[in-house]
Amino acid sequence: MNANDRKILVVGGGMSGLTAALEAAESGAQVIIAEKEPYLGGRVAQLHRYFPKLCPPTCGLEINFRRIRENPNITFYTMAEVTQVSGSAGNFDVTVTVRPRYVNDRCVACDACAQACPAWRSNDFNYGLDKTKAIYLPYDMAFPQKYVIDASACQEDCGQKCAEACQYDAIDLNMQPQTLNFQVGSIILAGGWDLYDISKVDYLGFGTVKNVITNMQMERLAASNGPTGGKILRPSDNQPPKKVAFVQCAGSRDENHLPYCSYICCMASLKQATYLREQDPEAEIYIFYIDLRTPGRYEQFMWKVRDDEGVKLIRGKVAKVEQEPGTDNVTVTAEDTLGGGKIKMTFDMVVLAVGMVPSTKAKPFPLPLSYTPEGFIIPELLPEGIVAVGTLKNPLDVMKSNEDATGAALKSLISLSRR
Amino acid sequence: MAIEERKYGAYLCKGCGIGAALNFEELAKVIRKDGKIQHIREHDVLCSPEGLAMIQEDLKPEGEGINCLLIAACSPRTKYQEFDFPNVLVERVNLRELVAWTQEPNHPETQALAEDYCRMGAARIKKADLPEPYQTECDKTILVVGGGVTGLTAALEAANNGYQVVLVEKEAQLGGYAAKLYKATPSSYPYTSLQDPPVHALIAEVQAHPLIRVLTNTTIVQSEGEPGLLDVTVNTNGTEETIRIGSVVLATGFRPYDATKLSHLGYGLSPDVVTNFEFEELAKKGKIVRPSDGKAPESVAFIQCAGSRDPEHLPYCSDFCCLTSLKQALYVRQSNPEATAMILYKDIRTPGQTELFYKEVQSDPGVMLTKAEVTGVELAPGAKLRVKAKDTLLGANVAFEADMVVLATGLVPTTLDDPILNLTYRQGPGLPETENVRQPMTIPLAMEDARGAAMKAIQALEHVAAGVAVHPRAWDETFPDPFMQRCTQCKRCTEECPFGAIDEDEKGTPYFKINRCRRCGTCMGACPERIINFNDFSVDIIGSMLKSLDVPEIEDEDDPEAPFRFIGLVCENDAYPALDAAGWHRLRLNPYIRFIPLRCLGSFNLVWVSDALSRGIDGMILLACKSGEDYQCHFAKGSELAEYRLSKLSETLDKLGLEADRVQLVTVQISDFDRLPKILDDFVARVREIGPNPFKEF
Amino acid sequence: MADEILIKPDLQFVKRIMAAGGQDAKKCYQCDTCSVVCNLSPETSPFPRKEMLQAQWGLKEVVKSPDIWLCHQCSDCTVYCPRGAKPGEVLAVLRQMCIEEYAFPPMLARMVGDYRFLPLLIALPVVLLLLALKITGRLAIPEGDIVFSKMFPWYTIDIIFLGAAGFALFVFAQGVRRYWKDLNTSPWKVRLKGSLISHLIPTLVDIIKHDRFKKCETTFARSINHLMVFFGFVFLGLVTAWAFLKEWVFHQPGPYFIFSPIKLLAMVGTALLLYGIYQIIVARQANADKAGYGTYFDWQLIYVIVAVGVTGLGSWLFRLLGIKILAYPTYFLHLASVFFLFFYAPYTKLAHLVYRTVAMLYARMADRGF
Repeated sequence: MNANDRKILVVGGGMSGLTAALEAAESGAQVIIAEKEPYLGGRVAQLHRYFPKLCPPTCGLEINFRRIRENPNITFYTMAEVTQVSGSAGNFDVTVTVRPRYVNDRCVACDACAQACPAWRSNDFNYGLDKTKAIYLPYDMAFPQKYVIDASACQEDCGQKCAEACQYDAIDLNMQPQTLNFQVGSIILAGGWDLYDISKVDYLGFGTVKNVITNMQMERLAASNGPTGGKILRPSDNQPPKKVAFVQCAGSRDENHLPYCSYICCMASLKQATYLREQDPEAEIYIFYIDLRTPGRYEQFMWKVRDDEGVKLIRGKVAKVEQEPGTDNVTVTAEDTLGGGKIKMTFDMVVLAVGMVPSTKAKPFPLPLSYTPEGFIIPELLPEGIVAVGTLKNPLDVMKSNEDATGAALKSLISLSRR
Repeated sequence: MAIEERKYGAYLCKGCGIGAALNFEELAKVIRKDGKIQHIREHDVLCSPEGLAMIQEDLKPEGEGINCLLIAACSPRTKYQEFDFPNVLVERVNLRELVAWTQEPNHPETQALAEDYCRMGAARIKKADLPEPYQTECDKTILVVGGGVTGLTAALEAANNGYQVVLVEKEAQLGGYAAKLYKATPSSYPYTSLQDPPVHALIAEVQAHPLIRVLTNTTIVQSEGEPGLLDVTVNTNGTEETIRIGSVVLATGFRPYDATKLSHLGYGLSPDVVTNFEFEELAKKGKIVRPSDGKAPESVAFIQCAGSRDPEHLPYCSDFCCLTSLKQALYVRQSNPEATAMILYKDIRTPGQTELFYKEVQSDPGVMLTKAEVTGVELAPGAKLRVKAKDTLLGANVAFEADMVVLATGLVPTTLDDPILNLTYRQGPGLPETENVRQPMTIPLAMEDARGAAMKAIQALEHVAAGVAVHPRAWDETFPDPFMQRCTQCKRCTEECPFGAIDEDEKGTPYFKINRCRRCGTCMGACPERIINFNDFSVDIIGSMLKSLDVPEIEDEDDPEAPFRFIGLVCENDAYPALDAAGWHRLRLNPYIRFIPLRCLGSFNLVWVSDALSRGIDGMILLACKSGEDYQCHFAKGSELAEYRLSKLSETLDKLGLEADRVQLVTVQISDFDRLPKILDDFVARVREIGPNPFKEF
Repeated sequence: MADEILIKPDLQFVKRIMAAGGQDAKKCYQCDTCSVVCNLSPETSPFPRKEMLQAQWGLKEVVKSPDIWLCHQCSDCTVYCPRGAKPGEVLAVLRQMCIEEYAFPPMLARMVGDYRFLPLLIALPVVLLLLALKITGRLAIPEGDIVFSKMFPWYTIDIIFLGAAGFALFVFAQGVRRYWKDLNTSPWKVRLKGSLISHLIPTLVDIIKHDRFKKCETTFARSINHLMVFFGFVFLGLVTAWAFLKEWVFHQPGPYFIFSPIKLLAMVGTALLLYGIYQIIVARQANADKAGYGTYFDWQLIYVIVAVGVTGLGSWLFRLLGIKILAYPTYFLHLASVFFLFFYAPYTKLAHLVYRTVAMLYARMADRGF
């Protein structure tokens, strides 16, 4: 027995990481969370609503944040990435590098700095749909509720102006990257997923055809804390779209891009169809799909959307997306494969149901682990003491990721107790 | 742990615009006079190290020795680490989000609002106390019901983590359906080849595990008690035994849907129409042959969603059937290389990386697929079966002839047939259920889920042992502590507890099974005698807060700025953060409403309405979570119960000559900060229309 | 249901398709990307998605579908296919099977499509030509200036090649007759518009200009390369016809003056042929990853054309250089490869010239995407 026996490092503070961390901590382990973004909550925080009950995800996150607040067994670091790992189960030696936030714990989130800040940056939380100041709170419910400076956007006198506006001595422009060392018994990998770079699918027109957006952008457009205050407006002219197409399997199930199914895109598009229909009872929605994948009880949700007269489901893949000449509208081409021939229709906006890529694809964990060519961790081949969670292993929805994360916490505890 | 000698201190923060929006001298006067707290200190930035040092100094026993802190600063959701002092009672008054950030600075109503919040904070801290955990003896044995792959996994995981496990299986053999499989679909990369069912290795491991006691041929006769103290009586081959159990994992899994209901797909038409379960047995026996004549089939048609995804049968997707039929198509091919398998599907569902298996199976020359709506199965000449379908990828109505038809039959949870646990007490969502009990799923997912369920069972035990609540109020050390002498046995609490934590003895007197309790306070809201209370949350505490308000007289009721007074009772997890968010967005909130967060709207006690209205308060708004089928209440039924209680209230109000509209419940989501101003203004406008509370004058 | 089709999947046919170069056909999951990215595919019942399904099920009537000929194997479908099912290649195989289906005798067609019979196929012209030499007593290298007619007098050439061409034309005629009949019966029978001739002219113009072929995106260059080979053949055909005319009408057999117009045309034709086919080889190899490498059937024709061009050019050069020992054997090989090209034309990919023309004519008359 040694002191690390009850210590677990959770890499990633999204929904899966939080769940794994909380479950382990609530069972008595000491848990450290390292999250690379300046806030906890990950992708889930960016959703407008999520399954199964279509509640706002901030509600589930709020509970988790509260559990963290009340739990003395959890410490977390944001803007933190694991840069080096050595050792083995029971005795991992981990180096975590914390990027400078340039804002310290004195920050009260009063927003005075942002009001004074002269520089702007593209808002990655909103997938580039709007801008924030170079000093910003990632989103209104961000936890921790602390501002952060985007150093690449905050040049020249920007930092100085921000600092001068702060009455609380919370801005520290000289903050340096910090290197932390931890000894832990077990590591839970919960790095989550990134959205596939859909501009690589040239025929879908993302980035070249106006009013072609991704499903995650759609979530932000629908969210009350999003770029449009929750009113779904198309980007080119801020008009509410009347006729919208959803293009399923954008990148997924395609061996030129992602050979696997991303699991949740069918449900996401059906859900987003309800956003549009709620906002505009006249809206016309077309969902183009290959196979509608609404597993288990999600089926009933599909029925509900299918039976809505404003929603049409067409069995056919969109393989051409073009700007309608002379307008900001978008023309898509597909085939109704149940005998309907080619369909060429024009829409106000097109939503691409973009698939997910494990975060380990772009950035493998600093330990030699086994990955599939697509970057998924192969759990059977993980070394003792390391557990992977949720979408790092396979595309999943939030609910199943949570179940998986709970199981992962147990696996991690077992690997501790075996020592 | 009760605080012996209470010493109160109030600390006011001037930061974040609070100082600029309010008159602190007046505020201090109110705290002194109405709040009866004499030790008052101000600071420019209370959460700064300097501000905190000031508080710490006062906490020293040798100094002021303050042990009850009223902190009037920002929302309790922020700066929680800074304002956390061990063994000290802390009450946060939110002057930032609810006042400075949402009200007009230096307006008389803004000042009045802040003063009321300070009064309420002071009233609360006077009555609240530090929590003491409820600890009882606790047995840490875990009962796993069901010896299928899920139960086996759950048992093994729990045992590997050092817990004693009793595994109960009603059949003679462990393994359930998974043990009857010929092969399993691949569960790991590259997802291309069939594998041996993982269940056999699991069974061996479980049987060899020293901490697992396996009881086969066993059913559960009765379960009573509460987590940590469950007495479960089991019957093994006629012999009964009672075992002390800490917590239960229910993993009784599924059974196949009754295929005799699938005559429209030809079941019963010919022995050559079989279910996927029957086909699996055929494969396990060796070479696949037709049940009718023992000949190897040249062509086999698979009909997907036989029963599943069908409102007439099962209103859900059974999840495993697509992968299973793909697997069984390979059986057909391996058994007879000249045979073909035709799979007729609504949608092929091979989520995630199992898509790779779909592609692999498809690549076999003899496996063919189409989307189709099967319209019928009939006998055809030459001892064949004819499957008719429409909406196919060929764009025409088609018929296929096959030697055998396999119906990809769905799953039904076993809990549908039979209550399994035979609980002697009220049920609620308190047990960790797994896998197919909740929803159909494939083996790998079920195994993951089993781990999660085992974890939940372990946690339930550990939290019981520590005397704290489980999710969602994990670590809460408070618990409902009824004053039973005044109980009238009305049974509202036992009926309304969403978790079945309150039972009745033979005489009909309720008794609390604290280990099942989630601490939502629904019982407290239900109790007409107001005898159920928590250390820091009680009918009296909230009542005192209501009564502490200053209710000015209305001189001109038509004046749009007449000082009406309202109470807002809000869910602390959803509506309260939404109010905070409105603050961060600097939205203007109606200045006439004073908000009080509740653990759950289920704890809303009707007595508060009369407390408030009799004090002259003009109305009350409840900001609750969504109820009904897709409820969003974290305690399942809290908001629904609040609504129910309100429906009863309108009669009472009518009798008093008060208008029902004075008390309203509005559903608010955590993301609804932008809707709040209008919701609140509309409510206030409605009550202004009705006019001031006539009881004001008394 | 009245309009119900009884489907009889044919595993053997599926296996044949897979063996002939359509080994990825089964991977298709019917998403329709192919039909949408294809610039040649019509609006109603577009190809190649439905053909992929028919191929997967082994529904043999697919080879009779005119749509498989409307495909010019641009391979845009193959490039974008999310499953790597290579519809372009599969349709090529189906076209091969169509050629097989309508060729007589079918046995010969199967042999042409099977690489194992290649030596036998080559042996036929070689033996035939050797036999001709034997009979005419010219097995040795002739003395004096290099004049190819010393080896093969014109009458032997005419007998052998007119015979071969006549045979090919006969087989084609039979094939086209049956094909046209099949096209005009169910399930492809549609009401044809206008007269055969009025549609034949624009069809031929379309073919000569390669208008449809140029709609290819990924393999746009191939349409140009094909155009070069096409005109190479046209020019060489004109040269042959002219030589034939001179010999039989004006009795002026070759060889011709090196800068005579006919010789120049021959040189241009040869150059176009060789450069075009070279580019085709280069482009196919460069695009192989994305667009598919092509089947044996494809490469057979490519190499026969290469053989014809190279041996033709070689015999001319060796003759000019006066290298007897190379010139005569090369000429022998030239004749053998030309024989191969002509005689087997109804069975090789060259038959596409005929069947595609027929199918395009039919499609034009049936108003499908023209």
